[in-house]
Amino acid sequence: MKPQEPIPHNYSMAKLNLIFALSSLFLLAFTGLMVMYDYVRGWKWFQLEFNRMQRERIEQDLASVGDARQKAELAALDASTRQREVELAGHRDQYRRAQDEYDRWEGRHYAADEDYRFAKASLDAKRYESEMASLQRRSDSARQQQEYAVMTRHVNDLQLTLQAVTRSRDAAKAQVDSWLARIKEVEDKKKKLTERSDLLNKQLAAVKTDTNFLVLNAPMLDFISPTFRIDQVVLPDLFVSVNFMNVPRVDRCQTCHRAIDRQGFESKKEAARLVTELQAKLDSFEIPVEKAGDTKDRITALKKIADAPYDTPNPFRTHPKLDTFVGSASPHPLLEYGCTVCHRGQDRATEFGRAGHTPMSGKQEYRWAEGSILPGPWDYKHRHWGFQENEFNETPMYPRQYYESGCLKCHSGQVSVDKGDRITHATQVVELYGCYACHKISNWRFTDLRKPGPDLTGIAEKTTPAWAARWIAEPHDFRSTTRMPSFFYQRNMVGPAVGASERAANIIRQNVEIQAIVSYLFARSTHRPWTPPGQGDAAHGKQIVESVGCMGCHIEQETVKDSTSGAMRMARRDDFPLERNYGFNLVGVGTKTNPGWIYNWVKNPKNYYPDAPMPSLRLTDQEASDVTAYLVLLRKPQFMDKPLLPVDPGALHELAKSYMVNTLTDVDADSKLRSMSRDEQLVYLGQRSIEKYGCYSCHNIKGFEGLKPIGTELTIEGSKALHLFDFGFIHDYIHESGKSEHVLHNVPSWVYNKVRSPRVYDDGRTKSYNDKLKMPNFHLSEGEATDITTVVLALTKDLVAPQKIAAQDSRSRLMEEGRKRVSQHNCRACHVVDGYGRAIASTIADTAFLPPDLSPEGSRVQSPWLFQFLKDPTVMKIRPWLSVRMPTFHFTDEETNTLVTYFSAKGNVPQFDTTRNVSSDPRNVEVGRAVFTMLRCAQCHKTVPQGAAVAATTAAAVPADTASLAPNLTLARVRLRHAWISDWIRRPNEFIPGTRMPTNFPRDAATGGFQSPLALAIDTPPFAVQKASLMKYFKSEEELRKTMGDAVSLTEYLRDYIWSLGPSEMRAASPAGEEGLTPVPQQVAPPAIPPLKSSRNRAGSPEAGGR
Amino acid sequence: MTFIKDFVDVLSGSSISFLLLTSLFSFLIFFNLLDGRLRSKGGSVFIGFGLLFLISGIFIRPLLYLAIAYLVLMFLLANLGPRVWETRTGLIILVAGGGAFGLSMLDPQFYLIAAKPDNVPIVAMIFLLGFFTWVALRKAYLNDRQLLAGGIPWEKTESDEKLFTCPDLVYTEMLCMIVLTIVMIVWSMALRAPLEEAANPTSSPNPAKAPWYFLGLQEMLVYFDPWLAGVLLPTLIIVGLMAIPYIDTNPRGNGYYSFRERKWELGIFLYGFLVLWSFLIITGTFLRGPNWNFFGPYEYWDPNKLVPLVNIDLSELIWVKALGVALPKIWLIREMFGILFCLAYLGLPPLLAVGPFRRFYQKMGPPRYYVGTFLFLIMMALPIKMVLRWLFNLKYIVHIQEIFFNV
Repeated sequence: MKPQEPIPHNYSMAKLNLIFALSSLFLLAFTGLMVMYDYVRGWKWFQLEFNRMQRERIEQDLASVGDARQKAELAALDASTRQREVELAGHRDQYRRAQDEYDRWEGRHYAADEDYRFAKASLDAKRYESEMASLQRRSDSARQQQEYAVMTRHVNDLQLTLQAVTRSRDAAKAQVDSWLARIKEVEDKKKKLTERSDLLNKQLAAVKTDTNFLVLNAPMLDFISPTFRIDQVVLPDLFVSVNFMNVPRVDRCQTCHRAIDRQGFESKKEAARLVTELQAKLDSFEIPVEKAGDTKDRITALKKIADAPYDTPNPFRTHPKLDTFVGSASPHPLLEYGCTVCHRGQDRATEFGRAGHTPMSGKQEYRWAEGSILPGPWDYKHRHWGFQENEFNETPMYPRQYYESGCLKCHSGQVSVDKGDRITHATQVVELYGCYACHKISNWRFTDLRKPGPDLTGIAEKTTPAWAARWIAEPHDFRSTTRMPSFFYQRNMVGPAVGASERAANIIRQNVEIQAIVSYLFARSTHRPWTPPGQGDAAHGKQIVESVGCMGCHIEQETVKDSTSGAMRMARRDDFPLERNYGFNLVGVGTKTNPGWIYNWVKNPKNYYPDAPMPSLRLTDQEASDVTAYLVLLRKPQFMDKPLLPVDPGALHELAKSYMVNTLTDVDADSKLRSMSRDEQLVYLGQRSIEKYGCYSCHNIKGFEGLKPIGTELTIEGSKALHLFDFGFIHDYIHESGKSEHVLHNVPSWVYNKVRSPRVYDDGRTKSYNDKLKMPNFHLSEGEATDITTVVLALTKDLVAPQKIAAQDSRSRLMEEGRKRVSQHNCRACHVVDGYGRAIASTIADTAFLPPDLSPEGSRVQSPWLFQFLKDPTVMKIRPWLSVRMPTFHFTDEETNTLVTYFSAKGNVPQFDTTRNVSSDPRNVEVGRAVFTMLRCAQCHKTVPQGAAVAATTAAAVPADTASLAPNLTLARVRLRHAWISDWIRRPNEFIPGTRMPTNFPRDAATGGFQSPLALAIDTPPFAVQKASLMKYFKSEEELRKTMGDAVSLTEYLRDYIWSLGPSEMRAASPAGEEGLTPVPQQVAPPAIPPLKSSRNRAGSPEAGGR
Repeated sequence: MTFIKDFVDVLSGSSISFLLLTSLFSFLIFFNLLDGRLRSKGGSVFIGFGLLFLISGIFIRPLLYLAIAYLVLMFLLANLGPRVWETRTGLIILVAGGGAFGLSMLDPQFYLIAAKPDNVPIVAMIFLLGFFTWVALRKAYLNDRQLLAGGIPWEKTESDEKLFTCPDLVYTEMLCMIVLTIVMIVWSMALRAPLEEAANPTSSPNPAKAPWYFLGLQEMLVYFDPWLAGVLLPTLIIVGLMAIPYIDTNPRGNGYYSFRERKWELGIFLYGFLVLWSFLIITGTFLRGPNWNFFGPYEYWDPNKLVPLVNIDLSELIWVKALGVALPKIWLIREMFGILFCLAYLGLPPLLAVGPFRRFYQKMGPPRYYVGTFLFLIMMALPIKMVLRWLFNLKYIVHIQEIFFNV
């Protein structure tokens, strides 16, 4: 065979080997790098940092624990241990013997125990065997049973042996222990002394970066049992939508927010706030006495934090409202509610940007985003979190100022959210400003509400076209606090971004539209004549307006003093409580309307418009005349001096045609318009313009009944995707107030700027006249805009399980329906309800003359009484000294029932009871009478019927007795609840803080029980008479003294005494309040088309205007 | 700079770049650039084309840009001739291409699109496609030169040598494996996988794009109905690719690179693969933005950009525009011209067999000829429809909405 020719290699093997070596090394290096890349995660840095922080604090605590005195004590104890050990060594033999004895018995015990247990196991097996034998009728069943009996005896013997051995062993052990007892005693003392530092040391071990820590968290080994781990809570009944299905939320926020549910990591500011808050609660007995100790400890701990040299930075802080959220004792514990259900954001994300953190301002966005070229955990020290806008995240977190948006997801069935002051206020703003009228919001809170604007079907009776045109053009010029928004001459029509020629044309067009709307409204208006008032005294009228309660709902102020600059400026809505914006600002009312209309309106608003929100204050004819005389003096003549442009026929034609060409051809539209008179054209355009601007959404206008509201539906606006919001060309803009505002590319910022400056997204766009944005300008302040944005963001389609939705039980539903009425009828203008309200307080100087606080109303008054009183407040005058009147609201029976049910449900008492007929023991009444005298109750309370008539008749005739500033007690039996009276006497200040009723039975600070001052007083000379008279009811002085010291019994006797006064029946209410509804006066045919100047027939029969 | 960007933006418009590529391609094939025999015949036709573009460019700016680019490239190619295949020229082209790309990356909009993690492989694909096409054609050119001189292809000389599988093959393969693994690791670390939030059917991304390998098909959807672009044409592509070995029986060029010996085969394949497939993928990736609108490489992807949609059907073009009457009610009459046009197009093979394709008919025999020509015509239907769309805003040749049949 020929030797094979050697085949050469194509490549040099040495070179290949070298390449192989190098590339393998590279592969190894890059694999290592890959592992590191996978290992280095932002959240691990947070956990490491948090560990370090904890370590630092524990070490500081440890340093403070080991003071010199403690060290000395420890040394002494060590010495005594040693000494006792020496003592023991002296008796070594006896000790040794006892120990040996014990060991021996221990061995025997072990053997006896084992014998017994083994025998018992065999016995159990035998029992089974014998049972089976008898069950299967086996031949050996008799033998088996016999064997079982033998074994049972054997086991019993063994048990006895075991007991004997155990006894001996215990005796031996006691012997040994007695030798060691003295040493153990010292050891125990020592343990107690070092208890705290032991605990701290244990805690320290948990957060130490020792070898175990390094091994457990080493890359590639950290799958076993790492201490770095992602913490999560699974929330099966709170869902996150992944579009095709709803899956449970898995919140991982605590992975970085380590101490969110743990006390002790509050910021200094937060700690200081909590200290004041808790201290106040403690002082007012809001915290039960048995829990006071814990609270005091907490205050001490918080004080330490507030005074500490360091401050806890985020994300390591404790949740600032731990008693409301996240805390295990709070209503929203972390394990049940997590975080993202309120805050939103991506539940499973563990990276800053992906989690959906949203900056609250451009400044914050800049700080968050800024970082090094290679972003990573090393930036966190400078609080640059590597923020990136994530356009794909459909549920980014709410920015800080809108946090309370999250409440409505579960609390949308509630009028006020407990501890959610902001969201409660925000929903009230939305209700009062009437956002729901144009924007449908299918949500219990914002449905079944009345139209926010006044009825316009009778506008011609009320004002003149000249005023109406100026008003529509710029309502703000007439009343700076009005809720009527500005539709015309806004920034997309006449703003700086609009070209000069277009601006000039728009001014003409806008004027034509205004005039057209006015023409339509007056052409369709009714023309009922209203009786002019008699001679009135304006000064007296002013006094009435300021005293009977008008100021609860109305403002009469054009300028206010600015709180920061101190200069006078135009008033804004939010200068006043929300409730006082319910009615209009009375400024200029004399310019707006006429005496006849005012007179009849204040007499009874329902005569003009049956659904008028204003109640009747039951003014007499003379009072109404006086009020009218005063109100017509509130004039603003300079408003009417504003020039009104004439209607431009060209623009009128152009605008009217622009609507007609939707259905007609150009030629047909022209010829149709030519066939119409100018007034007809105006009315036509007016109708179209009302449709365009949606005036009918807020106002009742003839011809627009039942139309859908004009605005975008907002029911799930908060879930709308970002790309569906039209930002136009806007990023920075100059707000009307002159301030530059920045629009961040997120939904909250869009909504905020939309409500702040509704036409701003038209800046720079080319649009035809009718296509421009139409939302009117409400002139919202920053706070109002934030409130409205909060509500809009809260309206989401996020799903939670039904059991997580608040206030769903029937009692809560009844209460919430009532709360809605309270809000709708503006009860809080005068009363405190649910602990807040009484806007009128700012206009009444003396607190004694304020309308009553209704917070405890349900438990205070009887439902039948309340029902009758609400239907007709004249049935009883409880506080005759008040000049403020409870108005007649003309509630329907249904509404009244809703309110009565609400109050009794809130008072947590049954709606009806039979206590009115309770008759008390005469002895108790007598004791009560004596106590009544001793406490000098009669100084304020009357106990004789008012006037000569029976107590429960109308009190209006009785002159107000300002000397006795407490209700007449003869009314109590028909009005108050039996159980409530005694409770109230005991703790009036807890029911109504700041009440004038004195606290006669103060609480004992230590036990929280009530103390009676009479226990000592009964023996003093001034009360000798009472003592003598009472003695006949008591066996001994001792018993009398005991009773006098028992505050609870005394209040019950007082109650019995009060119950014995006055009648048990009351006058029935008239069906619809005092005067009833006056029939609407006869109709007068309206003139065909009213021209634009005021030419209204004011004459009418004196009777027709209403009584 | 702005002018150059503007120039590139206009030039990369799908119609312009397509025309440019197609004309250059035919230039390459028909005039044996490989042989350096450009001036032999018909060069004047192409110069004439350039002049035509130039003249129309006076009225239509994009065509002016096209003419400039066309003439410059043609001038370069004509002057370079076979020197195109020299390593030095290849390097120059590579450096020029890379440099242009690098400079473009300074433009923020270009950077945004080109550096998107899911677009990076397509950027690499452009360079790899260019490189491998160039390498293959260069080898073909070298062989052709040898063959013309009466020599043998270099693959033949090489295949006489013998080597061990191990280590020569196995070792190098393993080294490749290691190096590739390193590349993949570095890549996956440097560019994070573009994972997004859960899909939302009510809010689809804009533009909604198919995976990159289907972007050619998605681009075809602009010109054809889904049943054609999504079903029929892809099926025919697969069937056609499978049929190639049975249609192409040319024994020459087996086992070695050659262009001269397989001019038509290679020409048709490269046109289909490079222009009708890869070019459409690249267009779909880089140049189709929101609403599937066309955006130049330096143009901002504005979702609000509006282009007029004024395409019309052939029936409208003939009945309404040319004849000035309303559309007939009966669809058969209405679409008569379109149907006739389609039938005529598909009836071309027998005519071509006696006409220009006589040589192929004789060489391949009837079955191969008819199948091959049919597939070729279907392939060419795409560029024809594209050109019709650009020139006449033609939407459909046959549009029978009554039975949902549109071509």
